[in-house]
Amino acid sequence: MTESNPPLPRAKFQCRGVNVHYATTHAIKDNDIDIYDKSVTSFIGPSGCGKSTFLRCLNRMNDTIEICRVTGDIRLDDVDIYGSDIDPVQLRARVGMVFQKPNPFPKSIFDNVAYGPRIHGLAENRADLDAMVESSLRSAGLWDEVKDRLSSSGTGLSGGQQQRLCIARAIATQPEVLLMDEPCSALDPIATEIVEELISSLGETYCVVIVTHSMQQANRISERTAFFHLGELVEYETTHNIFNTPKDDRTIGYVSGRFG
Amino acid sequence: MLSWVALIVVLMIAGSFFASQQRARGVAQGDLAALHSRPAYHGAYTALWVAIAGFGVLVLGLLLSNIAIRSALFAAIPDSLGPLSQIERDLIVSDGVAIASGEVASRSDAAREAVGARYGTLMMVRNVGLALLTLGAAAFAYMRSSAQISLPFRARNRTEKIVQVLLMVSAAIAILTTIGIVASLLGQTLAFFSDIPITKFLFGTLWSPLSGVHSGSMDPDKVGAIPLFAGTLLITFIAMLVAVPVGLFAAIFLSDFASQRARSIIKPMLEILAGIPTVVYGFFAAITVAPFLRDTGAAVGLTISSESALAAGIVMGIMIIPFISSLSDDVINAVPQSLRDGSYGLGATKAETIRKVILPAALPGIVSAVLLGVSRAIGETMIVVMAAGQGANLTANPFEAVTTVTVQIVALITGDTEAATAAGPAFTLGFTLFCVTLIFNVIALRLVRKYQESYD
Repeated sequence: MTESNPPLPRAKFQCRGVNVHYATTHAIKDNDIDIYDKSVTSFIGPSGCGKSTFLRCLNRMNDTIEICRVTGDIRLDDVDIYGSDIDPVQLRARVGMVFQKPNPFPKSIFDNVAYGPRIHGLAENRADLDAMVESSLRSAGLWDEVKDRLSSSGTGLSGGQQQRLCIARAIATQPEVLLMDEPCSALDPIATEIVEELISSLGETYCVVIVTHSMQQANRISERTAFFHLGELVEYETTHNIFNTPKDDRTIGYVSGRFG
Repeated sequence: MLSWVALIVVLMIAGSFFASQQRARGVAQGDLAALHSRPAYHGAYTALWVAIAGFGVLVLGLLLSNIAIRSALFAAIPDSLGPLSQIERDLIVSDGVAIASGEVASRSDAAREAVGARYGTLMMVRNVGLALLTLGAAAFAYMRSSAQISLPFRARNRTEKIVQVLLMVSAAIAILTTIGIVASLLGQTLAFFSDIPITKFLFGTLWSPLSGVHSGSMDPDKVGAIPLFAGTLLITFIAMLVAVPVGLFAAIFLSDFASQRARSIIKPMLEILAGIPTVVYGFFAAITVAPFLRDTGAAVGLTISSESALAAGIVMGIMIIPFISSLSDDVINAVPQSLRDGSYGLGATKAETIRKVILPAALPGIVSAVLLGVSRAIGETMIVVMAAGQGANLTANPFEAVTTVTVQIVALITGDTEAATAAGPAFTLGFTLFCVTLIFNVIALRLVRKYQESYD
């Protein structure tokens, strides 16, 4: 599918024959996908189609679920991330993740953002750490709102601010990839707009993969869109093509609102 | 006889329920919607009044008549016996009661026969009178409340009101009992402090309250409770030294490392540990642990007495482990999975996640679990009675025998000293214990609230 497209940045992720089983359920069925750097890729599809599960394969978050089994080949910069020499902890430092529900730690705003740099020893000294926290909060568009209360609790922020704090926290670890699992589904429209703008701008520097229930959102912020249905990757195209000239009947049905 | 009366009242309650229900149906004449309250509420309303009237009269009558009969029996002791001490009078009365009910009396004489005869008539009168009164009250309650049944009668609201009052009375009983216990502790304590200066008790370092009792009164210099406080603190400290790390680590293992299967086996096992009677821990400490420690100490050149704070503390710590592990496990599990995911998603290891995210978030709960453990340790009795010793040594050496507040209360109450003499220091110690745990709990609650404010 991808060869017909205009020149692309290089593929950050190359996934071939990926299968995921939860105990007896076959959640992801033999999917191939290339995800490109410095762009936003959306995963869309009805609930339970496996899009979040697939996203969680990309940073091996599924490892934390006892009954989950992932097979197939997923390469990040041509290295198999399920290889025996890969430490999932180090992988997750490179592939950051933002979750559906804002989940700031019950710590101060500063400590939330400084969490990643501290555990990975990224900062040389306190001034360095301060600078990292500030630049992460600036990237997440939160700095001006919280700069006077960095020591107050991160859980005291509004929902939209919490989600941007979580994005700042993910950025502070200096990842190459940002995975976002329905990052706006718990936010109101205004907060959603702010976070969407943020995601679009992050797409200029990072490889961003976002799972979303909102087709409008996928349309607004992503360059490429993948449509999942019942664990199958049905169609993967530029966002424009998916929404304007979908090829598969299931995609046509979903994007035109006939089901899902 | 009165048990039959109680049974009849129960039957009356059931009967009045069905009768009133039926009567409400009759009043409704087939149109149940015309009734303000459903027939069952009319039944319940009547039944509740019958129960309150019947059992209220029965219980109150029993209490009052027992008091009255007792004083009547004392009055029945013939004056010809001359002045008698209270104990002798008690004995005559209880022998009289035994004679009247056909049991074996310690001695039989004219005075006792007279008291017995009086008891027989009084009981007869009481039983018949109370039976009539009870049944009469229940019947009256039935007639009065069933006469109220009508279409607009708000039986539901009134039933709910009665139930509400019953609930309130139950709560009041719990509170009043507490107040009563505290008041009696306080009274005895104040009486004790009127003989012994409070400073001697709180700051004295010599505890041997009964040593001077034979010569008449207590020696204020020998009721210093500091050795007891020190012993209690020492043993509690050792116990927490064992219980907190082991309990907390077990909780972390259970919640974040153990597989579902292991967890489902280990957690119930830990809870069985909590179900072992403390007396079993006590002789385990005295028979197994203390000699083992003594022998081990001897082998490495340490003098450990065969009753030591260490033995009691270690076993007490083991006893407290399940409290801390089970409660901590619950609070650690209550930390949302989303926080764990957030931390793992940033490339944190399991250890980092636990240390930096989960434990801080669970801290209020863990603190309260530890404080609960401490208050159990302070109040624990059986283990220290058996394994810590009786001698009130003032020492910080865990290898020596020490004694605790609870042990001394046991010694005072179960000893062969006259109860009235021993009660003073015992109640005072009990009151002190109560105050300490109360202050402790208040501080603990404050601490927890403070943590919660900063984490929510």
